[in-house]
Amino acid sequence: MSRAPEPRAGAPVVVSGSGVVSPTGVGLAAFEEALFAGRSAVRAHAVDLPGLEVPIVPIAAVAGAAFDAASVGAPSRLPLDRATAMALAAAEEAARQAALAIDDVDGERLGIFWGSGMAGATTFEQTCRTVYADQRRMRPTSVITTMPNAPTAELALRYRARGAALAYACACASSAVAIGEAMRAIRAGWIDVAIAGGSESLLTPGVVASWQAMRVLAPLRAPCDDAAAARACRPFAADRAGFALGEGAAAFVLESAEHARARSAEALWHLAGYATNCDGVHITNPDAAGQTRAMRAALADAGLTPADIGHVNAHGTATLAGDAAEAASIAAVFGARGVPVTSTKAIHGHLLGAGGAVELLASACALVAQRLPPTANTGAVDPSFAIDVVTGAARPAHTLRHAMSSSFAFGGTNAVLITSRVG
Amino acid sequence: MQPPTFAAVSSVLVEKFHVDAALVRPETPLDQLGLDSLALMEFVFAVEDRFDVRIPEDRLDPRQAGVTLAQLATLLDEAAAAKAGGDVASA
Repeated sequence: MSRAPEPRAGAPVVVSGSGVVSPTGVGLAAFEEALFAGRSAVRAHAVDLPGLEVPIVPIAAVAGAAFDAASVGAPSRLPLDRATAMALAAAEEAARQAALAIDDVDGERLGIFWGSGMAGATTFEQTCRTVYADQRRMRPTSVITTMPNAPTAELALRYRARGAALAYACACASSAVAIGEAMRAIRAGWIDVAIAGGSESLLTPGVVASWQAMRVLAPLRAPCDDAAAARACRPFAADRAGFALGEGAAAFVLESAEHARARSAEALWHLAGYATNCDGVHITNPDAAGQTRAMRAALADAGLTPADIGHVNAHGTATLAGDAAEAASIAAVFGARGVPVTSTKAIHGHLLGAGGAVELLASACALVAQRLPPTANTGAVDPSFAIDVVTGAARPAHTLRHAMSSSFAFGGTNAVLITSRVG
Repeated sequence: MQPPTFAAVSSVLVEKFHVDAALVRPETPLDQLGLDSLALMEFVFAVEDRFDVRIPEDRLDPRQAGVTLAQLATLLDEAAAAKAGGDVASA
């Protein structure tokens, strides 16, 4: 049997802008503030499905006061799904931070790489209600608003991207894969600059009830209050019991070092490594071996060793099986308690297809601030885990130079991104 | 054309379709709003739903050149009147 050639490290890609819409608020400042404070945006949520008894569930929604989807103008002039509106808002912040003047960018060298688990889900469920419950006619734009590449397409129109417009759907790894593939496209010279990230808004009654039926959402005892819901998700804790669904979007402007230099763009941080693979063993059960391979491949891609990594932003869903597999894979790669680990999901919820992008942003915030965000809510870590979980308050990390962010999806897709400080 | 009807049509255009308010005048033809044919169909659906009426297809093709917002508002008024008449007749 022939062995694959030894992987070689690729060039780092410049990140010159980022933007976010998350349950902690709209924009980078609100995100970073809640991240380091370890403040959860999860609240108690009743599912509106008449005739069905669905328990109250923990949800991290983007508050209406913070984000008005109707105020976001569609480049196509057609109605937007809520998630697509979030995508456009996040990208706008990223493009602004990057000082990316679209008139100065060669559109044929610009690509959109976007991840979503179920883009258009809110609109799709509304269309189903329209025909089945209300027995009213469909809107002529239903197809275009609900298609999986709807956010990709609107972003391509907004930024006049003519190099590529690709949508990635691999469940909870979708946006990590989108960002990694954008990096590959830039390294390969197919494009010079990309707007990459992900968006998700699946907080519809049907989808929430579907997740509840899987028994992976942290249970809430009625009568429950928002304070109890905010504590419901406890990643890596001995008493963990599942996650809270969330919604949001994060976007990044990625570009080759040459492109950034030519337009005098400031590099905020570098995307240094990426790997994706698949467990290939089970539709939902995570596989520590597949995760281990993915983390090692990402390290090789970045030209780094485990000792170079100063922080891991874990997938950390707070499910029994998920956290156990990930604790095992992190210990396999880094050694027992070999690297500080955070899961930020207790803060912003499980953002599904947008999770990889929002968590990469959390990882980059830690890298730039040299400060590790805490795993909110987690008191006692599961004693069977040989990992160093950052709990309580944010931890200073003055020597942090490289950080890893992992996304492990239903379907077995693993995606690992590595960021590096500039200089 | 009833002024409240035009005002409602105008608010749908500005709020839902982000059309420049300065462009939204009774004499403006639909095909001058900067909306493509699909968006125009969506717009007509939206105003019909706002008034809970249907304009018969043989009375309006929004893609046809020259149909103005005033004409659309009048068609909505007529559809509302026909519906009210029908409701009275069936009562």
